[in-house]
Amino acid sequence: MTLFQRILYAAALTAAAGASVPTLALAAEDGASLFQENCSACHQPKGQGVPGAFPPLAGNKFVQGDPKGPAYVLTHGRGGMPNFSDDLNDQQMAAILSYIRAAWGNKAQGPDATLVASVRSASAPPDDTGANLPFH
Amino acid sequence: MGELSDTGGYGFSRRAFLERLSGVGGTALLMAGMSALGFGIESAMAQPPALAGGGKGKKVLVLGAGVAGLTSAYELSNAGYNVTVLEARDRFGGRSWTARKGSKLTEVGGETEVCDFEEGYYINPGPWRIPYFHKGYLHYAKKFGVGVELFNNDNDQSPILYDKGAGPLAGKLVKKVEVSADMRGYANELLAKQVRQGALDAEFGPGDKELFLDYLRTEGLLTRDDFKYIGAEGREPAIYPGAGMDPGEGKWSKPYPMTDILQSSTWKVLRSISNLDQQRTMFQPIGGMHELPKGFVRNLKVNIKLQHEVKSITQDDKSITVRYLDTSTGQTGTETADYVMCCIPLSILRTVDIQVSPQFKEAIGGVSYALVGKIGIQMKERFWEDRHRLYGGHLYVDDPLISTISMPSTGWLGQKGVVLGFYPHGAAAARLSAMSLADRKAYALKAGSRIFPEYADMAEGSFSMFWHRAPYNLGGWAEWTEDGRKKYYPTLLEPQGRLVLAGEHLSYLTGWQEGGIESAWQQMQKLHALAQAA
Repeated sequence: MTLFQRILYAAALTAAAGASVPTLALAAEDGASLFQENCSACHQPKGQGVPGAFPPLAGNKFVQGDPKGPAYVLTHGRGGMPNFSDDLNDQQMAAILSYIRAAWGNKAQGPDATLVASVRSASAPPDDTGANLPFH
Repeated sequence: MGELSDTGGYGFSRRAFLERLSGVGGTALLMAGMSALGFGIESAMAQPPALAGGGKGKKVLVLGAGVAGLTSAYELSNAGYNVTVLEARDRFGGRSWTARKGSKLTEVGGETEVCDFEEGYYINPGPWRIPYFHKGYLHYAKKFGVGVELFNNDNDQSPILYDKGAGPLAGKLVKKVEVSADMRGYANELLAKQVRQGALDAEFGPGDKELFLDYLRTEGLLTRDDFKYIGAEGREPAIYPGAGMDPGEGKWSKPYPMTDILQSSTWKVLRSISNLDQQRTMFQPIGGMHELPKGFVRNLKVNIKLQHEVKSITQDDKSITVRYLDTSTGQTGTETADYVMCCIPLSILRTVDIQVSPQFKEAIGGVSYALVGKIGIQMKERFWEDRHRLYGGHLYVDDPLISTISMPSTGWLGQKGVVLGFYPHGAAAARLSAMSLADRKAYALKAGSRIFPEYADMAEGSFSMFWHRAPYNLGGWAEWTEDGRKKYYPTLLEPQGRLVLAGEHLSYLTGWQEGGIESAWQQMQKLHALAQAA
């Protein structure tokens, strides 16, 4: 390619490299604190949600079901929910998911960071991601 | 200009044809003629739809007194419809709002906040700037005598503080003008060198190589004979010129090494031109964004019923009925009409019990709304002007929780002013909005203090708001995905019996008041067509 094209290509590579660095650096924290900081603004501090807008997490079947479902929502977003893939790493997401799946009367366990990582790189949602969500 | 003099098969030149049009029919016909000839210049005159035949007293309920609702109420009532507006809040205007002393907001699940600015100071927590081509907005601003002033949307003097880059400039304050002059200078110098050596001869048609070199030299501010970048007069001088011998002619500043700028990522603020809706200068209404809704209401002869929350919409072949809750009394009631123009955001409409087809219902739920918020901080002195020579514009930071710090484009050279302290979106907005009001302000002050040492000391009152936590909004604006646009958007544009929707969500100008206005203009024509056919 011409020098000009090489210059542009180099600039594009630099830009791409910059974009892959997580933008919200956090010290490793427990799931409860991470939930409070990142999630409670919408889902509310006790996971009760806001009717029609932000689904409740407490008593939520989707949240307590196959962990790939809520992990996909965190990594890819869904509906009104932004994806947090640039802001939370696999450990942090696993901590939050484990917390919400066992808090407020919920009775599920895990996932671990490995599962989150596998879902993060998935290009399609796991089955029934839509069907079980109580709100769009 | 060659096109205009080409006779192109006509018996006369295109220029003569156009001049004749202009003589006969005036500017509108000239514009239409130019459009027909393929020049693609639309008439800059914006007009609401004509609604020929009038409303004949048919009853329309407009739901929502935001900008789309006010536009609908104004035009439909002027056309002779009998219009009543139901608005959930205790004020009109919707997102087009100005927070000033005493303005109050309780976020969902949050603290109640009362704006503690002094009299005369404000922040626009929702829309805050108007692009030049928002013809509907400017039409009503002109019509209602709402004055506008220039909004500085791009200040070359703006500091950039990027922490996430590398090299000696990471975490250092640099100015946009420095980065812009240096990157353009170096890039053009590098390219000029190659061109002059003949490396790119194959790229140029006859004569173009010399012209291209001239462009590089002009645009990159290169030296005349050597095509070198050695800095520029306009690049924040080390010593500004003045009188006598000292400062005398002043002193140019020294460019940063190119590798330092590249490493720092500060070049990411540069673009050759802005996005369509982000020109360097824009407008804002004088006195705050709420001035346009006030303009509508001054000129509206219809009943706006505040504190009327819509609970359900039902219809049959004869009429359409809205059940509401009057939150001032706690009583429910109904209003029946021939048609409903529903200008409620979809984020709220999905909680209303409406009698529509399953596809329509699914479509209403098929769009997400932006997580977004702002903080305005009143400063006891305009230190950014007095001490830092910054007049309007935005500062560049790479903390997404802050996203931007912006200086006001009003009250120039006055005593005090309100600074926008953060404007985050998405996940960053979720995080910042989880903080208490006090913590949000503290976060903003800490960030600003890294750029202006006096920032925290100068701070007085403040007001922060996040739209995803605002009652009756639960989101800043509609954010359509590509799938949603294909699958749901066309459905929502069509009337459902006697119900027609309108709002920024039904436009490609989401998040802009113009989207609401132009959607209302289009959608009221559909309502009118229904009424005419009935």
